[in-house]
Amino acid sequence: MHLRERLQHPAAWWLWGLGLATAASRTANPVLLLLVIGVCVVVVTERRDPATPNPLVPFLLIGGFIVAFRVVLTAVLGNGINGPTVVFSLPRVPLPDWASGVRLGGPVSLESLLFALYDSLRLAAILTCLGAANALASPRRLLRYLPATLYDVGTAVVVGLTFAPQLLSDARTVRSARTLRGHEGRGIREISRLAVPVLETAFERSLGLAASMESRGYGRAVRSTVRDRRIASALALVGLLGVLGGLYGLLDSSAGGALGLPLLVVGAALAAASLAVGASRDSRSGHRREQWAWTETLTVLTGILSAAVLVVGSVRGWEGIVPTQRAELPAVPLVAVVAMLIAATPAFFTPRPRQVDA
Amino acid sequence: MTAGTTRRAIPLRWPAAVAVSLVCTVGLLAFVWPFVVSAEFATSHGNDAPWFFAVLLALLALVCLAELTSGRLDAKTIAVLGVAAAAGGGMRLLSAGTAGLEPMFFVVIVAGRVLGPGVGFVSGSLAVTTGALLTGGVGPWLPFQMICAGAVGLGAGLLPVAAGARAERWVVAGYALLTGLGYGLLMNLWFWPFLGANAPTGMGFVPGAPVSENLNHYGVFYLATSLGWDLPRGVLNAVLVLVAGPALLRVFRRAARRAAFDAPVAFEQPPLRTALPDDPRVRAPKPPEVVGR
Amino acid sequence: MIVFDRVSVTYAGAPAPALSDVTLEIPEGELVLVVGPTGSGKSTLLRTINGLVPHFTGGTLSGSVVVDGLDTAEHRPRDLATMVGLVDQNPTSTFVTDVVEDEVAYGMETMGLHPTTIRRRIEETLDLFGLTPLRSRPLSALSGGQQQRVAIASLFAAGPKVLVLDEPTSALDPVAAEEVLASLQRIVHDLGVTVVLAEHRLERVVHHADRVVLVSQGRTSGLLDPATAMATSTIFPPVVGLSRLAGWTPTPLSIRDARRHAATLRATLGDLGGAPTTPLRGIGPADAVTVRGARIRRGSRVVIEGLDLTVARGSVTALMGRNGAGKSTLLGALAGQHPLTSGSMRLGRRGLDPHDVRARERVAVVGLVPQQPELLLYADSVEAECADADRDFGVEPGTTARMLARISGPIDGGLHPRDLSEGQRLELAVSVILAGAPEVLLLDEPTRGLDYGAKQRLGATLTELAARGTTVVIATHDVELCAEVADRVVILADGEIVSDGPAREVLSSSPAFAPQVTKVLLPQTWLTVAEVAAALERSA
Repeated sequence: MHLRERLQHPAAWWLWGLGLATAASRTANPVLLLLVIGVCVVVVTERRDPATPNPLVPFLLIGGFIVAFRVVLTAVLGNGINGPTVVFSLPRVPLPDWASGVRLGGPVSLESLLFALYDSLRLAAILTCLGAANALASPRRLLRYLPATLYDVGTAVVVGLTFAPQLLSDARTVRSARTLRGHEGRGIREISRLAVPVLETAFERSLGLAASMESRGYGRAVRSTVRDRRIASALALVGLLGVLGGLYGLLDSSAGGALGLPLLVVGAALAAASLAVGASRDSRSGHRREQWAWTETLTVLTGILSAAVLVVGSVRGWEGIVPTQRAELPAVPLVAVVAMLIAATPAFFTPRPRQVDA
Repeated sequence: MTAGTTRRAIPLRWPAAVAVSLVCTVGLLAFVWPFVVSAEFATSHGNDAPWFFAVLLALLALVCLAELTSGRLDAKTIAVLGVAAAAGGGMRLLSAGTAGLEPMFFVVIVAGRVLGPGVGFVSGSLAVTTGALLTGGVGPWLPFQMICAGAVGLGAGLLPVAAGARAERWVVAGYALLTGLGYGLLMNLWFWPFLGANAPTGMGFVPGAPVSENLNHYGVFYLATSLGWDLPRGVLNAVLVLVAGPALLRVFRRAARRAAFDAPVAFEQPPLRTALPDDPRVRAPKPPEVVGR
Repeated sequence: MIVFDRVSVTYAGAPAPALSDVTLEIPEGELVLVVGPTGSGKSTLLRTINGLVPHFTGGTLSGSVVVDGLDTAEHRPRDLATMVGLVDQNPTSTFVTDVVEDEVAYGMETMGLHPTTIRRRIEETLDLFGLTPLRSRPLSALSGGQQQRVAIASLFAAGPKVLVLDEPTSALDPVAAEEVLASLQRIVHDLGVTVVLAEHRLERVVHHADRVVLVSQGRTSGLLDPATAMATSTIFPPVVGLSRLAGWTPTPLSIRDARRHAATLRATLGDLGGAPTTPLRGIGPADAVTVRGARIRRGSRVVIEGLDLTVARGSVTALMGRNGAGKSTLLGALAGQHPLTSGSMRLGRRGLDPHDVRARERVAVVGLVPQQPELLLYADSVEAECADADRDFGVEPGTTARMLARISGPIDGGLHPRDLSEGQRLELAVSVILAGAPEVLLLDEPTRGLDYGAKQRLGATLTELAARGTTVVIATHDVELCAEVADRVVILADGEIVSDGPAREVLSSSPAFAPQVTKVLLPQTWLTVAEVAAALERSA
């Protein structure tokens, strides 16, 4: 079979992941958060981008580390919550004056531990959503969709991505070549000795690449005129000033907080518009851009749905979205659970990526 | 190569310079807002602010990169940026196991030093991006890191010391130490407010509390959690600059020279010869022409 | 198609012009071969065709280069991209994307062709170059020959009328080179593309050429008939050497033509007693290298399996075989770089196990010049490199520099090692390794990218080293080098020895590895022109 597998559009997976992350950020309910993590794991197991190593695992590990770290930290240092259910007591350690606010040791309550657990679980769930997005659609596939104004930068990143593995393999070769001159040392001096031939080779290669790009028509498409660039610069500068002014207004409410948000939004919109100026002039054509079919739309909708349900839930203050600070099992809002389960369905209706033979 | 001829592959024109400074200011705000924010904003939006800033900074970082580069890069600059990004990103890949020890800055600083503040900023941001793409570690921290690393490269290009001067090595090493520490100090700030009320007493962000109290809390938090990683990183970068800096600076300078970013290109009319009997073409000689870049 | 009118090129800061006063007219649909030693201005000549010189490199071009009516003074390389495609020696450094099909599409995308056109041209091109089965492979997973074909295909897809190739087969093994040349032949013959080609390995290409241009010190000859050009060229393949010796006219360029002339020469040589059978020189005891039952694994793949090998002191042994047959791995293992899974290795008089000692001790017994010799070099001038090597090996200061002067003749010590020619760089790397005075010298593909002159110097150096008692083992595809210097040839396939014996026997009995002279004079087993010349001289 010579046809390439149809991979789902990367933007669809990323929007789905961000939707799910938004949903997770709205709740501290451990059941819902574990559900989010479960959904991510299921979808990634079913529909992982076969071209990349699975980045979900390190994200899960980091999440686990965060949870453990926070719980231990809370046990040792406590947090603002002093519940009635004391699990155990640690010996109290006196601290110097400048750290007078810090408590080291003392009684550890179940409530404070649970709160730390829920809160860190939320961070872990958000991380898992991002890890899932990374695993489902390698972010480098998104580089194709950069606007024309960022084409040069995007190309530099693509070049960097191709060079990096070559650099590493060169580094290995140079390291073994060093032993041919009787060096086996480690340490910083040795690193600098390694770096010189590796980088020299990389730069030589980069000049060859530049010559090849130049002779293959790189930069030939008229991507922007001087007028475009002036307009873009003006938009960017005005937009940035707007953002800065808006931020100032927002953060310091005494200085016209009401104006802050609109100013910020307009500024950000202008700045974003500067990216689009002249992009339509882009005369490059695309070969095999990914298609956007109904599965993509549906995937994004499931993500948005889960986010919407939890945003509404947290605004309306549904029971169980934010669990109580008592040592009891929190209530689980059924609607939210259903929304999460729906977010797992892309694992089944999206096209299955076929394993490519490398 | 004579000292002092630093090549500017990406000229920092005034609109770009202003844009970069504005973005860096917003970037700084995105980190230090917990100390300047009003109480009501902090209580109502404290939990959303880091996400909000992540999105905002992602947009601004892209705007800034576009402003610096759009339509102005030639293939050579892109290739050199690609190497810097690969070297920086590769360093991240290598150092993934050793938490916090990121020799990436070393490459960014050298690139900024040799190729000027414009390339410094772009290669800093791109090195972080490349590293994230290589490890599949794209997340809300990326925009913060892009701006920080970009600023580190930018600053390296602006360091007031002559290229090739004896002091260069020490100034750059000091800069590496400071940025290594400063980077950790700032990068911890972006998620510190998350801890909110849940942070250990005396280390968390207290909305509406006086700046001094929050500073004190953050200081304790930083000492307790991060200094142990940031100090070695700063020291490692500084030592790398001292030991390997001169050699790498030479490699980058040689590359810049070989790329001939500013070598003049000229076309001339050949010296006249009497006749070309074997030349069947009859063409009017062209006026001499010099194509500048 | 391509008109050079009084073209001279001077690079910025260069004391002399790289090209002077070139006037040439290359007609459409011809395959033109550019012949000249390294540094003669070949590459500059090729790169003026699409304007990389001087637009990309900087410098001054006087005169004019006009391609199909377009003057390079007015059109930058990227504007000429639809007209001229340029292929480099090393395809990996020219890839912009990472999958075969994307790479073929890349040029057309930047030119803004319509997606359906792109689609159609991709299919046509992949078929034409036999790349269809590889279309979704990552570029890094391809062999060198496949990569080079992708590089040519991706340029060809954009539909240029001119293809310029700078040493497209120098880094390839003979089989891969043949694949690449066959593809080129097809697009010249069937599609009328004009091809300008520079190549050191004339024996591979000269019989494909329609016209030859000789380049020397920046000056070019006119467009010559290949046979005429070879009759006068200072650089020529062995078959031409034989022809000059025997006085054949017109100069044959292929083995087949040469064999038609060769009957008389064969008869003469037959009367003189045929090819010599004695070994080239006296050889010491067979204890320089002893390998028993070696098994080497790299990653999950077993590369060397149950290999036994002994090499005599002071001999020159050539390891040959396809890419991936295990040659480099075997050399690497002998130099202590890859551990053995089982079996044993002993080197030198003291029977040292290379995996059992520190690098410091190992270098006194075995030295390896790796495939990319520049990876051994890290100083920023030749002088500093030599001084570093003296320190590395703990020898008297100046040893390496003297060695270099002996091998290479005078080299400007202030030059950066990377600015040396490929031949000089190899010589510097060899000198560095020889500073440690190893008993066994290993060379991995030393003739990649070398011109005939540099190859001859290398051959002389190796012969001299062996005569002084150093044991030399070379992994190479270069049959002509083997014919010149090797006493013994070992052919590897899939990690096992499939053929092993005196060079003359092994080389002449294998159709893939026979040198040109042997092919012309078979059934007599002469290996080199020099041998034949010496025999004729003795009889005269």
